[in-house]
Amino acid sequence: MPSIFSSRDDINSEIWRKNVTFQKGKSYLIEAASGTGKSSLISFIYGYRKDYEGQICFDSRDVRTFSGNEWTSVRQNSIGMMFQELRLFPELTAGENVILKNNLTAYREEKQIKEWFRMLDIDDKWSEPIGRMSFGQQQRVAFVRMLCQPSDFLLMDEPVSHLDDINGGIMASIMENEIKERGVGVIVTSIGRRLLMNYSEMIKL
Amino acid sequence: MLWKLLKQHISVAQLTGFFIANLCGMVIVMLGVQFYNDVSPVFNEEDSFIKKDYVVVTKKVSTLGSISGKNSAFSSYEVDNIKSQPFAVSVGKFQPARFKVSAGLSFAGMSISTAMFLESVPDNFVDVKADEWKYVEGQGEIPIIIPRNYLNLYNFGFARSRNLPQLSEGMIGMVSLNLYISGNGMRDMKKGRIVGFSNRLNTILVPEDFMNAANSKYGDSNEMEPSRVIIEVDNPADERIAHFFNDNGYETEDNKLDAGKITWFLKIAVGIVMAIGLVISALSFYILLLSIYLLLQKNTDKLENLILMGYSTSRVALPYQILTVGINFAVLLIAIMALVIIRSLYSDVLAEIITGFEGNGIIMSCTVGVALFIFVSAYNIIAIRRKINAIL
Repeated sequence: MPSIFSSRDDINSEIWRKNVTFQKGKSYLIEAASGTGKSSLISFIYGYRKDYEGQICFDSRDVRTFSGNEWTSVRQNSIGMMFQELRLFPELTAGENVILKNNLTAYREEKQIKEWFRMLDIDDKWSEPIGRMSFGQQQRVAFVRMLCQPSDFLLMDEPVSHLDDINGGIMASIMENEIKERGVGVIVTSIGRRLLMNYSEMIKL
Repeated sequence: MLWKLLKQHISVAQLTGFFIANLCGMVIVMLGVQFYNDVSPVFNEEDSFIKKDYVVVTKKVSTLGSISGKNSAFSSYEVDNIKSQPFAVSVGKFQPARFKVSAGLSFAGMSISTAMFLESVPDNFVDVKADEWKYVEGQGEIPIIIPRNYLNLYNFGFARSRNLPQLSEGMIGMVSLNLYISGNGMRDMKKGRIVGFSNRLNTILVPEDFMNAANSKYGDSNEMEPSRVIIEVDNPADERIAHFFNDNGYETEDNKLDAGKITWFLKIAVGIVMAIGLVISALSFYILLLSIYLLLQKNTDKLENLILMGYSTSRVALPYQILTVGINFAVLLIAIMALVIIRSLYSDVLAEIITGFEGNGIIMSCTVGVALFIFVSAYNIIAIRRKINAIL
């Protein structure tokens, strides 16, 4: 639970002050109202904020004990992340943003990346600087970037907030394919629009 | 691609400022070392026959002393006192001949003859090769060292005015002298050969063994106390030497102490120059560090995103580290080039002053430069790494 909530006793949540386990091969939707700590939860799990109470464990190991290098390895090989604020580089083109990640992991063929771009209808934006693309288009780029690494889990913080249903649907089908083929676990958050998938579990934060 | 991202916000002006400042500092420091190395031999010119760091000491001859017949010789107590001084490595007495000598030279059909005066110092103060500088009883030729001034006096004064041939050092070495020794009612003739010329010893030296033998044979029996003492010192620039001599009313015969003082001043001057160079280097280093910090600060978002993408801090730090080390290395190379150029400008002048000027090469100053480079680079690498680690 975020430290800032610790003085409150009116918390009514299925995660805070509870034991929750996420498993590989399953998909979870975390639904929350604004301000209930959804993005905080994601940042706790991804290890870039530590202002929480309680314990987060990967395979029974407390993440508070992870060193910087271990986090680097986790972010390269275990957890794919799609940030709510995307964290793309506006100076680079859409293609470069994805390649920058794929160079690090050497996980995907460029052909596969371009195929995803085509499926998500942004293949004409490959050489376009990110700064000149709409947020919805950027979300799709960030989505592809997330896939460019070996993963046990994929975290997606409001992935479809600016997407139409058609592209959301394509995204969902790619995700379901990933779950089926690679056996990844998927955790999606939403405050309204949700990625339309068959979730194994829906959790109210 | 990583570089394309990270080079954003690099300030060429700041890096240029650092580059120039560091170059100045580096060149000044290296030039200081180089100049000191090149110039100090001027003041340490060695007499090839005499050990390097020695001084010859006499007592002051005063008018009053001459009239009252005061002795200007060193008593054994005084010699022991000198020996006990911390700056004295070893002390040798000049032993004067207690017999009459005159030397004759036959050359090209002419003969010159003059009354002479011989002295000896302990052999370990003389650096002539051991097989040349020795005397055993009955030896035919006696090795002699004379002051170079004597040769000049002959060549440029005597020989010219009398239309006599001028002699080179090599020729003198081939000519043998006739030494007529008399005393104790005996008179003998010995052959002498000049094996060396001294710039700094104003006396005619023979081996101590010969002196002992001749003194006991021809000399009167009473031992004479030495009027001159030769001292080997560990550091001629040691100010205690000058103090000691002043306090006891001793005089040094040559300018060895002056040279020591000049060397000392040279050291101070070079030290000041190098200190200034180091300060400039330190300031420029500070500029670089601030510039890099500013750069990291401006790129904090990017660095954070890269780290969250799974880039390790060392990988993100690497481009900046390469940048700074590259700049430092360029500075080092240009500084060495500048050093070589500047040195070529003054080495012509030095070559005229110092015979056989080679210098010690630029190895010493380059070593200092490389050390500076390594220190600055290492510190940069660590500072950048720390700064980036602090981001997340």
